[in-house]
Amino acid sequence: MIIKSHQRPITWTNAIRQRAGRHLRVLVTQTHPVFNMSAICVSLSRNLLVARSCGVMVMGRSVQTAAAPVTEPRIKKFQVYRWDPDSAGDKPRMQTYEIDLDRCGPMVLDALIKIKNEMDPTLTFRRSCREGICGSCAMNINGGNTLACLNKIDTNTNKPTKIYPLPHMYVVKDLVPDMSNFYAQYKSIEPYLKKKDEAQEGKEQYFQSVEDRQKLDGLYECILCACCSTSCPSYWWNGDKYLGPAVLMQAYRWMIDSRDEFTEERLSKLQDPFSLYRCHTIMNCTKTCPKGLNPGKAIAEIKKMMATYQEKKAAAS
Amino acid sequence: MAAIVRLSSVCRRGVRPLLYQSTLLSRPLVVPHKYQEQPHLLTARIHASQALYAGAGSKAASMHWTAERALSILLLAMGPVAYFSPGPVIDYSLAAALTLHGHWGLGQVLTDYVHGDAKIKAANAGLFLLSTVTFAGLCYFNYNDVGICKAIALLWSK
Repeated sequence: MIIKSHQRPITWTNAIRQRAGRHLRVLVTQTHPVFNMSAICVSLSRNLLVARSCGVMVMGRSVQTAAAPVTEPRIKKFQVYRWDPDSAGDKPRMQTYEIDLDRCGPMVLDALIKIKNEMDPTLTFRRSCREGICGSCAMNINGGNTLACLNKIDTNTNKPTKIYPLPHMYVVKDLVPDMSNFYAQYKSIEPYLKKKDEAQEGKEQYFQSVEDRQKLDGLYECILCACCSTSCPSYWWNGDKYLGPAVLMQAYRWMIDSRDEFTEERLSKLQDPFSLYRCHTIMNCTKTCPKGLNPGKAIAEIKKMMATYQEKKAAAS
Repeated sequence: MAAIVRLSSVCRRGVRPLLYQSTLLSRPLVVPHKYQEQPHLLTARIHASQALYAGAGSKAASMHWTAERALSILLLAMGPVAYFSPGPVIDYSLAAALTLHGHWGLGQVLTDYVHGDAKIKAANAGLFLLSTVTFAGLCYFNYNDVGICKAIALLWSK
C-alpha cells in the first residue's frame, strides 16, 4: 500500500506544506502505514520522522476527502506538566500544546509522541511498547492514573486534556517519576519461587495442578506500572513504609503459589502496622488499574491469611 | 576494636542510614558520579526501601486487626441487644466497646497522618487521655444518670 505524491489531491499537498512546519521541506513520496505504526526507531532522524508521519496524515486525509468535504480541523489542547531539573530555579508549570486530532493517532501516547517529534523535543516521558504491556507510560491523565498508550484521547475539543506525572512521586523530569522506592519495595517481598530444600533445585520441573495455576490468574498479569500504588492515599502519606497495592498483590501472588514453600515466612514479614495494615480498603487501586486487575481484593485476602496462618502451621506439625 | 569503629560510625550517621539501605537505590542511568553537586537529584536518595519492621514471631499486628474486626461485629450485635434488653450490663459493655472502637479507629488515623517520633508519642498520649476521659464519662453517666440505652431511647420519646 504505497501512496505516491502524485496520487494525492493537489490541494492537500499544499495544505500539508503549510501545516507541517519548519522541518518539512521535502514531502514523502512513499509511506508504508504498518511501518509507521510500529514502535519509533530512535536512530531515525527527526526530520525523517516528521516526514514519515506526514505521509500517514496524507493518506488519512485523502481517504476522508473522498468521503466528505472536511470542515474545521479538530484542535485539541493538551496541558502537560513540565519541570526541568537542569535549569536552576525552574518551577513546575503547565504547558499547553494544540494538536489537530485528524493528524494524530487515537491514544494519548500518540499525542505525546507527536508533540515530542514535531513541536517540542524537550518534552520528556517514558514509553516503550505502546500496547499496554511494558507499563512505562504510566501517568496521570485527566485526573486518573493510567497508561497513556491505553488511554483514548477525549475527542471533546472544548476541554483540554491535562497530563501530570504519577501523583505523589518524586519527579525526575516532566512526566518521568522516580520509581526507585517502588522497585526497592518490590524487591523486598522476594518476588520469586523459594524452596526449603535447595539441594533439589533444577533437578526436575515443579508441577502444578490446573486448579493451582488458575489461582494465579488475575495476579500474574500485573505489569508494575505503579498506577494503583500512586493512586492510593495511604501510599501517598506513608509510601516509605507501606508497601502499596501493586507490591502487596505480588506478595500475595507468591504466597498462594502452590510451588512456593515460604508462605508463612512471607506473611510474617508483613507483621507490622505499616507494610500491610495501612490499607484501609479505599479501592482506588482497583478502580484505576489499567489492566483491570483487583489489588484491593488481593490485599484483603492477605489480611485474612494473616489472621489465620499460624493455626495452619500448627495443624501441619 | 572493629565493633567500636562500627558503633562509632552508627553514632555519627544515626541509626536511619543503616535501616535505609541505599544500595538498593543505585541508578546508574540517572544519577551521575557527582550527584552530591546536583541538589535536585538528591531526591533519589531521600527515600529508600523500608526495612520491613516485622519482629520475627510477633503476631501483634494481625492480632490487632483481628481484634478490630471482632469488636466491630460485637458492636453490631450490641445494637439489637441494647434495644430489646436494656440494662446496666449492656450499658457498661457499650461504654467499653464504643470507647475501644473509637480509640483504635482514631489510632489508625494518627498512624496514617502523624509522622515523627515525638509527635506520634504526643498524639498517642493525647488519644489515650481522650479515650480515658470518654470511658470515665460514659461510666459516670451510666452510674449517676439514666444510662446509654435509656438515653438513646429518650431521643424518640418526645
